[in-house]
Amino acid sequence: MSGHEIKRRDFLKVMGWGGVGATLAGCDMPTTVTLEEGKEEVVSYMSPEEFVIPGIGIYYASTCQQCSAGCGIYGRVREGRVLKLEGNPASQINGGKLCQMGQAGVQTHYNPDRITKPMLRKGKELVEVSWDEAMAELDKRVGKSSSVDGQRVAWFSGSMSGHQSVLLDAYLESVGSKSHFVYEAINSAVSRAVNAEMLGDATPHYRFDKAALLLSFGADLLGASSSPVHYSTQYGEFRSAPRGMHVQIEPSMSLTGANADLWQPVIPGTEGVLAYGLINMLVNKMGYDASGLSLEVRGLIGKYDPAYAAKVTGISEERIEKIAGLLKSKSPSLVLAGTSTEGQRDGYNATAAVTLLNVILGNVGKTIESSGTFPFPQMAAKAGSSRDLLSFASALGKKQYDVVFFHGTNPVHTAPNYLGLVDNLADVPFKVTLSMFLDETAAVSDLVLPLLSSLEDWGTHVADVGGSTQTTDVTIQQPLMKQLYDDTRGFGDIVLSLLKARGVEEYTGFDDYYAYLRDAFSSTPEAITGGLGTKAFWQGSLQKGAVSIQLDKGALQSNPFASEVSEHKADPSYPMHLAPSARLGMWDGRHANIPWLQEAPDQISKVVWESWAEIHPSTAAKMGVTNGDMIKVESRQGAIKVKVYVHRGVHPNVVAVPMGRGHEQYGRYAKGRGVNPLKILSQVTENKTGELALYGTRVKVSNASDKGTLIHMGDSESQVGRKLVSTVTAEVFKNTEGGGNSVA
Amino acid sequence: MSLSNLLNDWTRYRQGIEEGGFHDYEHIFGMAIDLNKCIGCNACSIACYAENNLAVVGEEKFAKDQGMHWLRIERYWDEPDLGADDQEFQEHGASFLPMMCQQCNAATCEPVCPVAATYHTPDGLNAQVYNRCIGSRYCSNNCPYRLRYFNFYSYYETSWPAPLDQQLNPDLSVRDKGVMEKCTFCIQRIRVAKDTAQREERELVDGEFTTACAQTCPTSAIQFGDLQDPNSKVSQLWKQYQVKLGTTEQSKQNKELRGYRVFESLNTEPCVMYLDRVREV
Amino acid sequence: MHINEKDIDENIKWAEINKDVLKSMENPRPAYWVAIGLCLAMLSVAVVAEIYQYQTGMGVTNLNNPHMWDLYIATFIFWIGMSHSGTLLSAILHIIHADWRKPIYRFAEAMTTFSLMTAGLFPMIHLGRVWNMYWVIPYVTDRGIWPNFRSPLVWDAFAITTYLTSSALFLFIGMIPDLAICRDNAKGWRKKLYTVLSMGWRGDDRQWRNFRKTYMLMACFLIPLAVSVHSIVSSDFAMSIMPGWHVTSFPPYFVAGALYSGCAAIITLFILLRYFFYFEKYMTIAIMEKICKLTFAIAMVWTYLNLIEFASIWYGHDMVSKELLISKFTGPYSFWFWLMLFCGSVVPFMLAFKKYRCHMPTMFVVSLVLNLGMWLERWMIVTPTLSLSYHPFQWDVMWPSVVQWGIVFGSFGWFGLLFLTFVKIFPSVSMYEVKEMVYHRKREAGSAASEEGSAAPVKNEEGNKATPSGSGTPGLEGA
Repeated sequence: MSGHEIKRRDFLKVMGWGGVGATLAGCDMPTTVTLEEGKEEVVSYMSPEEFVIPGIGIYYASTCQQCSAGCGIYGRVREGRVLKLEGNPASQINGGKLCQMGQAGVQTHYNPDRITKPMLRKGKELVEVSWDEAMAELDKRVGKSSSVDGQRVAWFSGSMSGHQSVLLDAYLESVGSKSHFVYEAINSAVSRAVNAEMLGDATPHYRFDKAALLLSFGADLLGASSSPVHYSTQYGEFRSAPRGMHVQIEPSMSLTGANADLWQPVIPGTEGVLAYGLINMLVNKMGYDASGLSLEVRGLIGKYDPAYAAKVTGISEERIEKIAGLLKSKSPSLVLAGTSTEGQRDGYNATAAVTLLNVILGNVGKTIESSGTFPFPQMAAKAGSSRDLLSFASALGKKQYDVVFFHGTNPVHTAPNYLGLVDNLADVPFKVTLSMFLDETAAVSDLVLPLLSSLEDWGTHVADVGGSTQTTDVTIQQPLMKQLYDDTRGFGDIVLSLLKARGVEEYTGFDDYYAYLRDAFSSTPEAITGGLGTKAFWQGSLQKGAVSIQLDKGALQSNPFASEVSEHKADPSYPMHLAPSARLGMWDGRHANIPWLQEAPDQISKVVWESWAEIHPSTAAKMGVTNGDMIKVESRQGAIKVKVYVHRGVHPNVVAVPMGRGHEQYGRYAKGRGVNPLKILSQVTENKTGELALYGTRVKVSNASDKGTLIHMGDSESQVGRKLVSTVTAEVFKNTEGGGNSVA
Repeated sequence: MSLSNLLNDWTRYRQGIEEGGFHDYEHIFGMAIDLNKCIGCNACSIACYAENNLAVVGEEKFAKDQGMHWLRIERYWDEPDLGADDQEFQEHGASFLPMMCQQCNAATCEPVCPVAATYHTPDGLNAQVYNRCIGSRYCSNNCPYRLRYFNFYSYYETSWPAPLDQQLNPDLSVRDKGVMEKCTFCIQRIRVAKDTAQREERELVDGEFTTACAQTCPTSAIQFGDLQDPNSKVSQLWKQYQVKLGTTEQSKQNKELRGYRVFESLNTEPCVMYLDRVREV
Repeated sequence: MHINEKDIDENIKWAEINKDVLKSMENPRPAYWVAIGLCLAMLSVAVVAEIYQYQTGMGVTNLNNPHMWDLYIATFIFWIGMSHSGTLLSAILHIIHADWRKPIYRFAEAMTTFSLMTAGLFPMIHLGRVWNMYWVIPYVTDRGIWPNFRSPLVWDAFAITTYLTSSALFLFIGMIPDLAICRDNAKGWRKKLYTVLSMGWRGDDRQWRNFRKTYMLMACFLIPLAVSVHSIVSSDFAMSIMPGWHVTSFPPYFVAGALYSGCAAIITLFILLRYFFYFEKYMTIAIMEKICKLTFAIAMVWTYLNLIEFASIWYGHDMVSKELLISKFTGPYSFWFWLMLFCGSVVPFMLAFKKYRCHMPTMFVVSLVLNLGMWLERWMIVTPTLSLSYHPFQWDVMWPSVVQWGIVFGSFGWFGLLFLTFVKIFPSVSMYEVKEMVYHRKREAGSAASEEGSAAPVKNEEGNKATPSGSGTPGLEGA
């Protein structure tokens, strides 16, 4: 019997359901999905004939893959073509809403620059080859009969989760590789580390819909965050009556900052001091109890008196007192740290100081909730970090790998110059990229395997953030249409065939990834299927776009610890700070090949199609530049020339150059457009976590004496006295709409 | 034209003036946009591109202001209502304003079109008939909101290189050069909903149709519906905020109540109500 | 400087008139062919530009949102305005018996027709889908689709076609007696042409009586038409709600501007014809002086209407219009705006001085400057309003592309070509009316000389006999 048990457990492991046991609840399965026309039972595009009604759009549920948030989508399919993506109203993450990147998913799918055939490097050129030849090459390099040393095989990917992750792990195990690097340029690895240590939960639920005050130290929740739509939806509730107040402290205005009631510029790297200054004021002046804290922490708090904080941050003591007063008067509050706070040499400590504010203010448990434990760790999200990029780069420097696989990320574009990634990669004998596009990484690879688009491929995903505290969704990504190109293959299919090539027995029975997924769903623990038959469960899941998984209840702890933040030092030869801010739209550069997004004006500068640098009017005046003039931004690692956009949403000591453009490859829409600020990042890493300090680069800027104009939308930044955007004070809002009358 | 017709028209006209509305319209589709909730994220704009086959004009043409963004998010840095515009920093963030065709009931674009290519439908929509348009562009000149976009080129030739063209929504056309276009309140969606309702012999139900922008708005700042339906969310909102059609100046019982229409003093009768942005000062 | 105060020498022989005028229609000199070549070259620039624009789309003009209109519409108004001169000289002055108009009204009328033919092209050129332009014409279709009669653009279409037809007819009718003279003196294809065109003119009493009545009727019809045409063109703007366009004084302002530019153009052509066709005897400096005075008066009316507009905006409550006005004075278009005011309101003061009035080269330059001012006026009406309207987010300043400039430039070539063709085929000075004028002057001089006064001719059948006729034996009476 025990043997059977073990077998069963192994089987579950193969199928991704392996884990720490399962308190699994049933979930109600919808029997119909609402179609544009009437109500019909629609299951999947696998049997298209029945559902293709000329002139009638049918909606299929799937999962958005434009970033790693994993929003549920509905694809509108007509005559076999997917036309438009909508949010899946049943999704716990996005509740029927989508961001602009999600909306543009169809343009990733239909992109004219997709690669349609495998490409193999022959001589200097990548030439199109057949899949047979590509797989033969792979077999030769990493197959069963090859002499490859598993230790010298690495996989470098973006965030991933679900059954693809399970398969990939199985593959790496079969090869004997322990090197799976998960890299995202836009990540929250430092906050995760701090949260894990201080709160016992790396990704707690932030509930600012419950908060009366949101104080964000550069957390761009609505823009480049781990789940933009989820947070935006919450933000809508947060702003409904009774309306929460929002204070944003950051070096350059993010989309989130643009919505703040109070936007406070700060020198990057001094946020930690500011946080401690606030704590000091709360404890010493406003009567917050610090007796629960350790002596060490209390001692540390004492060191940062407001006068000192004001001196370091350049923010007046009155302003610090005002913010502290707000924190006191508006409870519960939520204090969050974002990239500008995390991306410093001592970002971990600064983030810890920010998190400590939550502890002191008693927000833990109120506006910060436990995210529970996902019972299937195999499938859980592998969140990306930049530390993996750094360790990968150093491993490359030591020539540790013979074979490297790239997938879902484009390190050659996003890695700073100083890592010397391209040169080091040249020494790797065999580099494989699984990609839809010939991006910078693919271009330096030896074998490029063309992937299906996310709207053509199967998959399952587990979101890192979002959902409720009770359940989380394993979201299903199903093909919304027949594949556009015959010679492209799904990620799961490729990994599966790699596994087969390694001769792993458990997987030889599956024809393709779809068969594997079907089997995985057949083997879903009954607690999840709720007693539904295999077919009914599968169809129900497809219709809903997700399988709801009951979470193991978790609880947050409070382990405040001392985190001394070092004093911010000026650098006379490089007096300015570089803010390589990330934007909803271009993201880390992966969406630069989408024409809609290239032409979508940046939320702050309204610039399209090109890069720009944001500077404060006083800085501009000093340099003698105005909007559109070229400036040179120079760090110790290099220089970029970029047009300038002047506005008052930047700290005078900061130059912000949004990331995302500056591609050397990546198709007609991206190539040769704009600059990439990540290239000139200095060699600064976060001390504790080893993350790349994104905001730690010092630069000097100079007038490049080249007049120009920015390509932008909108010619006046002022309303010129017209009643276009009328603003009322929160007091008026409270008087008229107060707490009761909820809006829209 | 008989005398009785003339008198009827006159009565209708008087009624419209006195009761502040356009009562004989079957529907009046309208919007309520809460600027307190709008975060300026641009999702609506891209949803509009996807739904309505909007052309991507490219860098050079965009630089010449020949872009086709039916729904544009305007961003202003000054806040005339909060005063103190000479601060060192942008302390209250930005002011975002999603601007799409305001579907004016007394649209200034309509009377000037020489060929009646833009006209008012019984749905209270300001419609643009592409096939009829001869491209005099007078309508755009007479639109105080400047929300009409002209096909200065045959954008389709460059906008959707294959297979991007497969994404095009077959429910509406791709416009060729020389034609004016603008936001239609996703008339193709309204059409489908109306046809369905008609087939099922029932009234149009609030919520069974919405525009692409309202559908995707992450903060639900945009609400869309029929102002003639007293139970629709939108008409409730208009009522709640005491914003009425048929006036050039809103007179509210509670003067502090939010809600206004842009340039309503011009008597264009826009059907989009904006709820004031809110800032804690 | 000695100036002949008489507007025409009463001793000119009628035969001499015929000879001079008919000679001007013959044997073009090389300068003529150079001018034709120049005009063709200019026209071909426009044709190339239009073909390019037709093929590619309106975008090549640099038009954009908010600038949906620009030079095409401005130049359209300019040419329409130019067309008012002919009506003014031939119809208004005819009715009020200002007979000094007689030697110069013919070319002014031709100018009217040709500038209308030029103007009419612009609304078509500016259409995004010019191939559908006939949709603005009401015609019966099976689908019962009509143009929108509320649109000023439709009114434009009616007004311009009516005005063009009427002024062409007026030009033609007024030319019939002269065509008969031409017929009688021509050979070959010209003979055939004039025979057809002179419609059997013999110069008998009945013909003269009918001719006079028709001519007077047309003149009476044309005057309100001319006024209404430019009022309607002004409605394109005045009927809109845009600041700077929605101006109540626009109809008279446009009409004044039209007469102004028309008169200035007459001065230009007057000087050219006088010089190239040796018409010094007919286009005398005295007449020039009169046109100049008229022009000056109209310039002052125009200036006054400008000031009215500024004042009513300045003291009005329309803040947007006021801001626009201020930005016209100080903003991106201020150079052009001030240049327009300089050309339109300051330069005409030169006309107040006899010294300049009588100096042909100066007047030639001045008349061109005045018309430049009037062209700028139209541009400053159309474009700043579009640049800086209600919605600041869509404010923009645009410079027209070479395509627009090319077509505007070419329109002068087109006009020139028409005019040059005209002067070599048709008499550009009205022979019969000049004869009339000479006759009357002679009678006046005669009656002044003899105190007791011989019987003044009265308008009766006898008088008709005395009236110079273009028929029969030309110049017989004078011979």
